[in-house]
Amino acid sequence: MAETDKFTEDILKTAREKAESIIRDAQTETQHASDEAKISITREAEAIVRNAHADADAVKRRQISEARHRTKLREQQEKDKIVEEVLGQVRKRTSELAADEARYIPMLTHLIESGVKELREKTAVIHVNKADLERMSSLTQRVGKSLGSVRVEWAKEPIQAMGGAIVSNVDGTIRIDNTLDQKFEALQPKLLIGARASLFSEMNPTRDPFE
Amino acid sequence: MSGIETVRVIVDAEKQAAKMIDDAMNEAAAIRKRIDSLVQQQRQQMLAEAKKQADDITARAGAEGRVEAEQFEKEAKEALQSLVERASARKDAAVEKLLTILTQVE
Repeated sequence: MAETDKFTEDILKTAREKAESIIRDAQTETQHASDEAKISITREAEAIVRNAHADADAVKRRQISEARHRTKLREQQEKDKIVEEVLGQVRKRTSELAADEARYIPMLTHLIESGVKELREKTAVIHVNKADLERMSSLTQRVGKSLGSVRVEWAKEPIQAMGGAIVSNVDGTIRIDNTLDQKFEALQPKLLIGARASLFSEMNPTRDPFE
Repeated sequence: MSGIETVRVIVDAEKQAAKMIDDAMNEAAAIRKRIDSLVQQQRQQMLAEAKKQADDITARAGAEGRVEAEQFEKEAKEALQSLVERASARKDAAVEKLLTILTQVE
């Protein structure tokens, strides 16, 4: 009887120990898995927040950059508008130059003479606008003093120009364009740079921007 | 105790032992299952918190960026106004200067 009891007790004791070990193993295993999972989740969560900080910086930078861009664009538009106004004014004043004979006639004479010299032909045909054609007789007296043996003819048809002249050979195959329009066009890049510097120079507003 | 009784007692004990181990295995399985569910729940909760924190950070940065951009544009507008006024005051002089360049006899 006592032997049987001891035998059954051993069986149950061994089973109890085995059962406890199974549960302990499961608890240890799950605790370990839980700890690992926590580390992994924490990393994942930190990455989300870290990315958010990077995104936030990008969002902020983009908004400021867009504001800068809009501002720059507005500034450029305003500057262009003012420069256009100035160039328009210069063009207008150029077209009115002819009314100031004291200033215009010497200039026209010079434009014609330099055109004739550049042409290098025995006969030069001078093309001017309608208003200057009407001044032809006084111009004829002035032009030619420095031209030596070059014969000067005046084209009867007026040209469309603010002023100045086109000098051509007899058959019109060579043309030297010394009109104010052409001068304006040719000088436009320089005028634009000059206008911008003159209008918007911050360093020294009194400095001559063309020098 | 007869021999038959002795055998029965031992068989009962073995049955009880087998049940103990079986129960323990079931409990271990339940523990594993509980932890899977707990980890999953914990993951969802932590990630939801992180996502909310991320949304707050982005929203705050967006608001700060808007304020800074507005301030920048306000200051730039004032600076531009002043630039336009200065340039407008210089327009006539610029026209005269450009006219001189255009009409100067080389």
